[in-house]
Amino acid sequence: MRIVIAEDSVLLLDGLTRLLVAEGHDVTGYTTADEVVAALGPSAAVPDILVTDVRMPPSHTDEGLRAAVHLRSLHPRLPVLVLSQYVEQRYARELFAGDVRGLGYVLKDRVADVDEFLDALGRVAGGGTVIDPEVVAQILARTRRSGLETLTPRERDVLGLMAEGRSNAAIADRLVVGLPAVEKHVTSILTKLDLPQAADDHRRVLAVLRWLEHEPTNGERP
Amino acid sequence: MTSPTPPGSVSDDLRVVAPAFVDLRALAAAPVSVATWRGISQLVIGSVVLLLAFLVLTVGVATSLSLVIVVVGIPMLVATLWLCRPFAELERARLHAQLAVEIPAPRYPQRVGVWASWGGVLADSRTWAHAAYILVAGVVLTVQGVLVSVAGGFAIGGLVYPVVALASGMSHPPIPLVLMVPGAVLLLWVTALVTQAGSLALVRSARALVGASARAEAVEAARQAQLRAAQAEGRAVQLTETRTAAVGAADEERRRIERDLHDGAQQRLVALGVELGSARRKASSDPEAAAALEHAHREVKETLAELRDLVRGIHPAVLTDRGLDAALSALAARSPVPVRVDVPDPPALGRASTSAQAAAYFVAAEALTNAAKHASASAVTVTATVAGQNLRLVIADDGRGGAVAAPGSGLDGLRSRVAALDGTFDLDSPAGAGTRLTVEVPCAS
Repeated sequence: MRIVIAEDSVLLLDGLTRLLVAEGHDVTGYTTADEVVAALGPSAAVPDILVTDVRMPPSHTDEGLRAAVHLRSLHPRLPVLVLSQYVEQRYARELFAGDVRGLGYVLKDRVADVDEFLDALGRVAGGGTVIDPEVVAQILARTRRSGLETLTPRERDVLGLMAEGRSNAAIADRLVVGLPAVEKHVTSILTKLDLPQAADDHRRVLAVLRWLEHEPTNGERP
Repeated sequence: MTSPTPPGSVSDDLRVVAPAFVDLRALAAAPVSVATWRGISQLVIGSVVLLLAFLVLTVGVATSLSLVIVVVGIPMLVATLWLCRPFAELERARLHAQLAVEIPAPRYPQRVGVWASWGGVLADSRTWAHAAYILVAGVVLTVQGVLVSVAGGFAIGGLVYPVVALASGMSHPPIPLVLMVPGAVLLLWVTALVTQAGSLALVRSARALVGASARAEAVEAARQAQLRAAQAEGRAVQLTETRTAAVGAADEERRRIERDLHDGAQQRLVALGVELGSARRKASSDPEAAAALEHAHREVKETLAELRDLVRGIHPAVLTDRGLDAALSALAARSPVPVRVDVPDPPALGRASTSAQAAAYFVAAEALTNAAKHASASAVTVTATVAGQNLRLVIADDGRGGAVAAPGSGLDGLRSRVAALDGTFDLDSPAGAGTRLTVEVPCAS
């Protein structure tokens, strides 16, 4: 894969580059958001995935995020994995406002868990969606939708993993249960929350996120 | 010499210089009482002093007035009047020594410059009062002197005469002895009472005319009180300002430490984790090396997690970058107890100062920790609003209650933090009925 990384810590950029090169990828690294935006202009060849930090020079706030949103509008098919010192629901909303295919948003520290990182990288590059569990937990804490309380605790866990962008197989793996059990939970959740039975994962993520983030109408508040 | 009366206590004068008028025993012992004999000695010395003063004053004033027309009279008048001040001091000292009364000295207006100080002397009512005292005290002492010598003279004569008459064999005294002796004894008491009354009259005049004026003292006391109040007010303003600055500086320092840790140790650990992780993947052919690397990698990941928690406890970057609303979401997401965050108007929270937001954040963090650790709560709601000029945070759980902000506890530290911002901290935690913590912090703090 051709991977572009934007990361202002030279030490970490080096480490990631070496890791990914060893995995057989072609890696280009940049240390500022402006450089990446310049390198991936309208006429530039689109890489297989862009990995970017949020907090980067010059203001050390959300340059990376803004660059990601900008590049996604320029290259709608560009998969982007956003790494952040902290994850935050409103950043997520900004990032996932459009198409959620090929998008990832995870805590930067999780990069240290190399297997997880490579897994997330592969899923995003393959058009999947990866949302950090902390973001999902935040969304769940803020949701005002009624209906959540009708879910069993296990169904809530499954809903969270669905919102993280995991496939049924991955959920089964994570919860150490069989695939049929997960499928049963998913069907039950979608029925209870009145969501369409989506065939592909990214449409399911989108449906779940939209449902969770939807502002309540009158009388809907629990 | 210690004075039996505290300065300025007018009511005590009667007991000290004229006890015969308030106490029957003192009345009975009046001719031999200390007050009477002090009064006699005062009368003798005072008469001389006042006579001299009277002469100086009358000669000085009369001469000055007659010379006003040739200008020289004015400085003479000033000098004469000015002399009344040391005289007043002398008189206060004399009364203190002779009658054991303490009369507070007045404050004279201080003027800078020759003309101004002359004018000050002429315009000072106290100095004129001293002059008036010379006249008043002169009259008092004169009347007292006449009465004491007449009554005292007849008393002594009435007691001595019968002895002399009996000794010399005189058979027909001009007044019958049965009348003369009781009359003389009565006059003895009259002399004592007149002496004490005169002392009292003199002390009262001195208090009014050579002591500090009651009105001037009240004005001065009020001025001093006002000055102290203004100083206290200034001090309070200064303390509030420095306290706010100190809180702000502490928050700023926390942010700096957070930034340093993030840019330094955290980044290095993440990079180390990546290195170890990739080394572990490569070393899969050597099981021993792989196990060692696996262990090291796990250690790094755990250290990283600990460091992350530590950094968040110092000052979460999300609070600096995205404000209280986002920071509360992050707290809720990490809480083991399900938390509902309710922020009806997120942009409004941005009106609160960073110190106020930081205080609210740390209160919420502590309350959520307590709800999970001690209260065994199953649900918590966090509500943040801006009410008037205050940032208002309410954290309510359904746990076992009974929480107290014991000294040295986390809640106690937060109460101090809130108090330092002039905020209020209300912990309502009845046993068995959940805990409700309400904190209000001024947005501007």
